[in-house]
Amino acid sequence: MQRWSTGAVILVALAAAALGASAALGARNPAATSADIARQPDGRPDLSGIWQANTEAHWDLEAHAARPGAVTQQGVYPYDYARVPAAPVLALGAAGGVPPSIGVVGGDGRIPYTPEAARIRQANGENWIDRDPELKCYLPGVPRAMYMPYPFHVVQGTSKIQMAFTFTNAARTIHLDAVEPPPDDTYMGHSLGRWEGDTLVVEVTHFNGKNWFDRAGNFHSEALRLVERFTPMTRDALWYEVTIEDPKVFTRPWTIAMPLYRRLEPNMELLEYRCVEFVEEFLFGHLRKEQLVRRWEGETMIVDITRKVPPGDKLYEWYRR
Amino acid sequence: MVKRLLAVIGGVAAILAAVMLLRPTSTNPEEARTPWGEPDLQGLWTYEEEIPLQRLARFGNREFLTDEERAAIDKERAEILTRGAEVSDRRYERGTEQDVGGAYNAAIFTTHRPIGRRTSLIVDPPDGQIPPLTPEAQAKRAEIRAFQVALLQATDVCRNNLPGCAGGKYGPPSPRRADAPPHYLTVVGAGGPGGGGGVVNRANGPEDRNLGERCMGAMLPDFGGNTGFMLQIVQSPDSVAIFYDTAQGQGWQRVIPIRDGAHAPAHLRQWWGNSRGRWEGDTLVVDVTNFTPKTYFLGSYENLHLRERWTRLDAATIEYAVTIEDQAVWTRPWTVKQDYRKQDDFQNRIYKEPRCHEGNYGMAALLAGARTEERAFAAGRGPDPATKCNAGCGGFAFGFADTGDESNPLTR
Repeated sequence: MQRWSTGAVILVALAAAALGASAALGARNPAATSADIARQPDGRPDLSGIWQANTEAHWDLEAHAARPGAVTQQGVYPYDYARVPAAPVLALGAAGGVPPSIGVVGGDGRIPYTPEAARIRQANGENWIDRDPELKCYLPGVPRAMYMPYPFHVVQGTSKIQMAFTFTNAARTIHLDAVEPPPDDTYMGHSLGRWEGDTLVVEVTHFNGKNWFDRAGNFHSEALRLVERFTPMTRDALWYEVTIEDPKVFTRPWTIAMPLYRRLEPNMELLEYRCVEFVEEFLFGHLRKEQLVRRWEGETMIVDITRKVPPGDKLYEWYRR
Repeated sequence: MVKRLLAVIGGVAAILAAVMLLRPTSTNPEEARTPWGEPDLQGLWTYEEEIPLQRLARFGNREFLTDEERAAIDKERAEILTRGAEVSDRRYERGTEQDVGGAYNAAIFTTHRPIGRRTSLIVDPPDGQIPPLTPEAQAKRAEIRAFQVALLQATDVCRNNLPGCAGGKYGPPSPRRADAPPHYLTVVGAGGPGGGGGVVNRANGPEDRNLGERCMGAMLPDFGGNTGFMLQIVQSPDSVAIFYDTAQGQGWQRVIPIRDGAHAPAHLRQWWGNSRGRWEGDTLVVDVTNFTPKTYFLGSYENLHLRERWTRLDAATIEYAVTIEDQAVWTRPWTVKQDYRKQDDFQNRIYKEPRCHEGNYGMAALLAGARTEERAFAAGRGPDPATKCNAGCGGFAFGFADTGDESNPLTR
């Protein structure tokens, strides 16, 4: 019995290691690459089109169980797993939660923070609505822009690949030709691309360190360096893998990987999500002459929620009897 | 005198040097076609010549300037700007609100491009003028203008009868200060003449301020203006991506689908409209509709209809022509033409960042300042905010004077 169980543990461990390694190396993709992919006249893969990730990575890169609310507070019991939705999302009911995810981080599935950075990440998560640059409609940065829950348009030209993002009309250019380095660090970084077979390899540098990876508080510094790999799997799917390096925040390089899917609707096109306008209340509401949101205390927004039960709601009519 | 002449020559030389640096190195026409056989619009582009949108009355129906006329206009502009620089920017009377409003360095708002060959960007109608506004558009403009001057009437702008008060009069604070504006506020010129700054003399919230201050100033069409622009075009067989680097952090990304068929549903409205492109021979023809009531172009809002024609004339030039139509606003369609010159790809002189929004401390400061003034007035420690000006107040100290011999020769 003892031997059997030890053997099983070893087998399971080996299987897990193999799975982890294959995820880390993106080994799921090369086997899947089919001859039937879109190509340009020169034979290079053509990545043009409207794409979108279909993951929960924008909530949290790491594996996580579903959460009852995007913002939660301690419930009646003090356990972390018994938290309840907090005021900002309470009125949204089941639409205000966070969907679960198996995670997109390779290897052991965990982000290798230094001890100090791990504390910052923890505090980021606990103060999400105070700190996340996405909520202010700031440029999302890379790789975050690639897996936000909005479509993006890739226009593959002869010496540049332009990416136009729905979220806040963000843009990035992948230079396939030689260009001067940028004059300063930026939110979206500086992207230099090259082809390795059918894979587009992009090195991204010159970040300003003001971005996060997700809504869970995962973050990086201005020392971030990325190597992205885009490999066509089929006509309508790309395997997207990123190696992430930032010695100020992480103890070693780590990877994320996920497919990007083509939006196949025949009338698909990019529409505007001009959140610069949407967040004026969020950013400047406390400075209005007559405030719209009840209520601001100085710069602190305190959200009072009113939810009314519609007349004729059967659940409420039944229990009131 | 010699010193001034040298300064003028220096100014002209700087303009010429800048233009020569902007010239592309290659003029091989083979580059002007993509591997899939379409005209190649890709690269970095900008306009290199200053051409007024509307033709100066003195040129009548004449479309082009002579070389002598161009040289004379460039010389006159350089002289005025040089004199302006010698008096360390023209400024209003020290300590006035107009002076404070003009505290910006004039240099960034002063174009140094040489005058172009055309007398106006407008090529149709043949007189080079924007067609007359319809009575409906005039009425809308007058309503906005009446609201603007009502909010200004207790300020120095009206007391001193400055251009910003045109059409208004000096008087006690207007009760209209508590009203919603008659239409969505967009840009200063929406109600006719203005003196720079915000749309209305009020800062109750972000919506009182102009779209530029709200970091939403980018619009289509765009012919440059004081800060100019640079286009980055990337092209695939089914889409043309254009990044408009319009400076001041207000640039924006456009993707034109090359697609037959109808526009998006009519009730779907977009800040930059809905574009449909197709190739007509070697010209990219783009039809743009579905703008929002918050979009503004010289009197036109949601019913703006653009028909753009992008043609690569040679290795160094794209001709951009756009026919602008809004039957509710203009009595007839009108057409603008602008030439874009190819810039060096290696220099990569296009900046998607810094964006205006991420650094918009100005909006917070403006609103906070207004609240501070209100509190001070309520406590008897300051003037009535209705007597102070933060819109249409006299504006920036441009390199040219507002009026007279020292004003921009292209505006008189």
